[in-house]
Amino acid sequence: MLTNKIEQVKQNFTTDISTVKNSSELEKIRIKYLGRNGIISELFDRLNEADKKDKPLLGKNLNLLRNGITSQLNEAKSSFIKEEKSEGKDLDLTLPGRTYHIGSRHILTQTLDEIKSIFKSMGFSVHEGPELESDYNNFEALNFTEDHPARDMQDTFFISEDFLLRTHTSPVQIRLMNKMQPPVRAIMPGRVYRNEAVSARSYCMFHQVEGLYVDTDVTFAELKGTLVSFAHQFYGEDFDYRFRPSFFPFTEPSAEMDITCFICKGSGCKICKHSGWLEVLGCGMVDPNVFGYVHYDSEKYTGYAFGMGIERIAMLKYGITDIRIFFENDFRFLKQF
Amino acid sequence: MKISLNWLKEYINLDGISSDEIVQKLTMSGLEVEDVIDQNKLFGKFVVGFVENKEKHPDADRLSVCKVSDSNESFQVICGAANVEIGQKVVFAPIGTVIPKGNFEIKKAKIRGVESYGMICAEDELGLSEDHSGIIVLDAELKEGTPITKVPGFNDVIMEIAITPNRPDALSHIGVARDLAALFNNKLKIPKVSFKESNVDIKALASIEIEDEINCPRYSSRVVTEVKIKESPDWLKQRIKSIGLRPINNIVDITNYVMHECGQPLHAFDLDRLTGKKIIIKSTKTKKNFTTLDSKERELEPGTLMICDAEKDVAIAGVMGGENSEIYEDTKNVLIESAYFNPSSIRRTSKHMQLGTDASYRFERGTDPNNTMYAAERTAQLLKEIAGGKIAHGSIDVYPKKIKERMLKLRFARISKVLGFDVSKKDIIRILKKLGFQIEKTSENDLKIKVPTFRPDIEGEVDLIEEIARIFGYDNIPTIPKISIPLGIIHDETSFTDGLKEYANSLGLFEMINNPLQPESLAMLTGSAIKVSNPQSMDMAYLRTSLLSGALSVVSRNLNKGEKNLKLFEIGNVFNLYEGKTTVNSFDDYVEEEKLIFVLTGKKTEREWYSEEKDYDFFDLKGIVNTFIEKISLDNVSNDSYYSKDNSIYEYYFSKIIKDRVIGLGGKVKSSVLTQFDIDQDVFGFELNLGKLKEITVPEKSYRELLKYPKVIRDFAFVFDKVTNFEEVKNLIQKKGSKLLKDVKVFDIFESRDLGEGKISMAFQLEYFNEERTLTEEEVEKDFSNLIKIISKEFNAKLRG
Repeated sequence: MLTNKIEQVKQNFTTDISTVKNSSELEKIRIKYLGRNGIISELFDRLNEADKKDKPLLGKNLNLLRNGITSQLNEAKSSFIKEEKSEGKDLDLTLPGRTYHIGSRHILTQTLDEIKSIFKSMGFSVHEGPELESDYNNFEALNFTEDHPARDMQDTFFISEDFLLRTHTSPVQIRLMNKMQPPVRAIMPGRVYRNEAVSARSYCMFHQVEGLYVDTDVTFAELKGTLVSFAHQFYGEDFDYRFRPSFFPFTEPSAEMDITCFICKGSGCKICKHSGWLEVLGCGMVDPNVFGYVHYDSEKYTGYAFGMGIERIAMLKYGITDIRIFFENDFRFLKQF
Repeated sequence: MKISLNWLKEYINLDGISSDEIVQKLTMSGLEVEDVIDQNKLFGKFVVGFVENKEKHPDADRLSVCKVSDSNESFQVICGAANVEIGQKVVFAPIGTVIPKGNFEIKKAKIRGVESYGMICAEDELGLSEDHSGIIVLDAELKEGTPITKVPGFNDVIMEIAITPNRPDALSHIGVARDLAALFNNKLKIPKVSFKESNVDIKALASIEIEDEINCPRYSSRVVTEVKIKESPDWLKQRIKSIGLRPINNIVDITNYVMHECGQPLHAFDLDRLTGKKIIIKSTKTKKNFTTLDSKERELEPGTLMICDAEKDVAIAGVMGGENSEIYEDTKNVLIESAYFNPSSIRRTSKHMQLGTDASYRFERGTDPNNTMYAAERTAQLLKEIAGGKIAHGSIDVYPKKIKERMLKLRFARISKVLGFDVSKKDIIRILKKLGFQIEKTSENDLKIKVPTFRPDIEGEVDLIEEIARIFGYDNIPTIPKISIPLGIIHDETSFTDGLKEYANSLGLFEMINNPLQPESLAMLTGSAIKVSNPQSMDMAYLRTSLLSGALSVVSRNLNKGEKNLKLFEIGNVFNLYEGKTTVNSFDDYVEEEKLIFVLTGKKTEREWYSEEKDYDFFDLKGIVNTFIEKISLDNVSNDSYYSKDNSIYEYYFSKIIKDRVIGLGGKVKSSVLTQFDIDQDVFGFELNLGKLKEITVPEKSYRELLKYPKVIRDFAFVFDKVTNFEEVKNLIQKKGSKLLKDVKVFDIFESRDLGEGKISMAFQLEYFNEERTLTEEEVEKDFSNLIKIISKEFNAKLRG
């Protein structure tokens, strides 16, 4: 009984498929034979009613039938798709592609990453330190003596008498030198806090990258060379630079590095306060007093240190005029970079 | 600090040097000129005008119609000042002149119907002061038509210089001139002081006693009698105005002048108001009040250094004088105070009282203890010349322990070692001498140097090296093109988080950076927050205890801007006090940890031609978290716990546990929490503790042989009671399955009426393989049917067809 039925279905299918004209008709045939309630499924249901001894053979034949139908349908389907594609009928290739999203790192992270990779290529390690610091690490060991007006240079958020939110990444220098002996060659990125009124130009926290190199023959000339090389890699080759004497309690001599204002090319504009120069970093030779705090022999070793603000650099580089936008995390801003 | 170029020229010859060059040199030697007002350029078009005629404006009571002559022509000018009079010489701005205040150009104008061809100027309009009380009346001797820049007071160059805290010596015109002398290799001319004294001996007029020698190492004084308080002469007023001060009277102006000349703050007491004609310098022992000369009553902390007379306090030393002893219009006899105070003491007082003055600014940076007598005598000399006083014979100078010059050795080799460059011995000596250092001894390898006491910042050899470098010019030190670096291992402590950021990006998450300073309500939401003792505002008074509150604020702000579908992450530090601690007195009182947060909200897919809208849900969050954990190779060592009951933050959530430690937790944020942020859509968040994660050692990756034999896939589906959860079934399958069973996944779940009330169907796909050989049908079948039996029995489940 079932054997005959199988044979009949096979012939009917051969007839059906020979008359099919397009892929939608083909789909109807597929449902008729292979659908959940289709002919094949019905035949399998009937298999249970068959004699136990006939079952293996019938089962095998049924499987063969199903496989045969499946492969013929697939073959027909692919030929239809080819034809239809070439005629340009059913598939609208002009529809937009499906959307995929890649996220992005915050523009400050991207800026920092760029700086990091340049210094890493020059043999600097990367170290971190805590944001909640001791007054000792943040000031005292960096040669900011108590009651000295130099402390006014960095308005501080205090937590208690001896603890504060670090005002610069320089305490990581102290931590690093306490941990290891020269040579020390590292940059130290991180978040810092200043108790300054929030405005378009200043925020109560921002990010810095600190650099430190201590070894037996480190000189001011080398500091200049290293920073000029960094600046050329980061800002491009087409600018002039200058090193201006400045003051930081933990370096002596101290300097600030200016580069030609890349907005006005040095002719003077609002951004550079009409000086033609942009201050991009502070630097200097590590003060021997600091070596005293970390028990380095200042007769044997010399060192340089430098530091720069990431927000300022990103603002200059991307034409951002309000520092607060970095921390609003407006999704439209985040998506721009 | 404002410095007048004309004033500077009293101490150094700058002929033939342009102001641009001076500005440039000062900036490049460490006295950064932040702003320059060159009056020669600014006032180029103004001329001396002669008021020939003045009539009342026909239509305005307060306006006059004047005729102003520039000797060639006569202009009709409307003037609003009350003090304009016929015969005056005035500052006249003809048509085309740009007025500095407001930066506008003078044009022909009609004022109340009368035409005006220029402007008669007041001081504020030229930017000379804030004074708008009347027009400037010039010396009657001046000839009309003379360019105003030929008139003293109108041809200065005013420089705003940023003096770094290490340079108290540069807080005066002589100080700046000294640097210029070194820069231009010129001579510094310090005014000589000489005068005739009266017959009266100072000792008969006053006495001085220092009780607190530590905080007042020196107190020098001169007494000038029979002074006449009046307005200062023009030249002095000009000097005072040029640096942005307001002239008061001759006595006050002279003390200000001498301070800005040589850097020594001075105070003039009315001698007759000092009880007992006595000055005592001592520190307060108890809290008390004192009224300063600005008529404000101030509270003094114990230990405040005070100037007293025989019975009362008369001044806060180094900060401000008292109302009870200040100079007034009838003052006749003046005691000049010229002292050296301990910088720390003055700074503490000034900080505590939040009272900073020009004097305290200098004292706290360190004045020259050995210049007090010069300044007192210079003041006395000017009081005699300008205020007509008589200088009492002799001086009082209480200086119990002389502060000596520091001696330093400067090794030539050390200069090269620090700078990487040799400066010639000749240049070194020249620079140091010009800056006021004395070379005591010159040897082949070093110099012995006496540091003047006006340079308290020069404490060691390296400070001398900086002096040489900054005058020599940093730009003259070569920028070397080649360096050598130590060949050690290069560590990168940020590489782990950098990697995480990369994975987050590839999962479509955007990074945010939030301010860790928060209001108490947010910070306390998720932990025991640390308070800032001097916050800017209560909105930023606490440190965040988790990244969640900041993230929810970001969600809230974005919703307000119409950005409703967000997929964000942040990596940052959070701060928590340990239990039982209320503030931070040591590193053991709190923990600062690095955390990572994922936040999802809004629609995962929007309505598109190929898809329906779909909101983010718990399983999107879980998928992202698990992908991360797998990417950092911790999937085999971590397990999850699930919580369907809410906690204080989440409605339902799960945690990641490694070696019994919770390393992360998150889920669906409770609506009661979201309400606090005005968020009205579901938010899913998960926070991972990176600090704890970093402590876990991940086994090094090693290559696994690729599978050579085919996998066998088997499916089955069961109808379970709804209380059964996926993980129970999965765990049982894995436990009871053979070693050949390598993976179990659920691929279909549904409930329906056909299945019956309280029932759920779950379909599983089982993956079998053996690394060594091809599997036989029998061994798979055996395991598979065994599992069917076990599941059916264990869960009372029914195998589906």
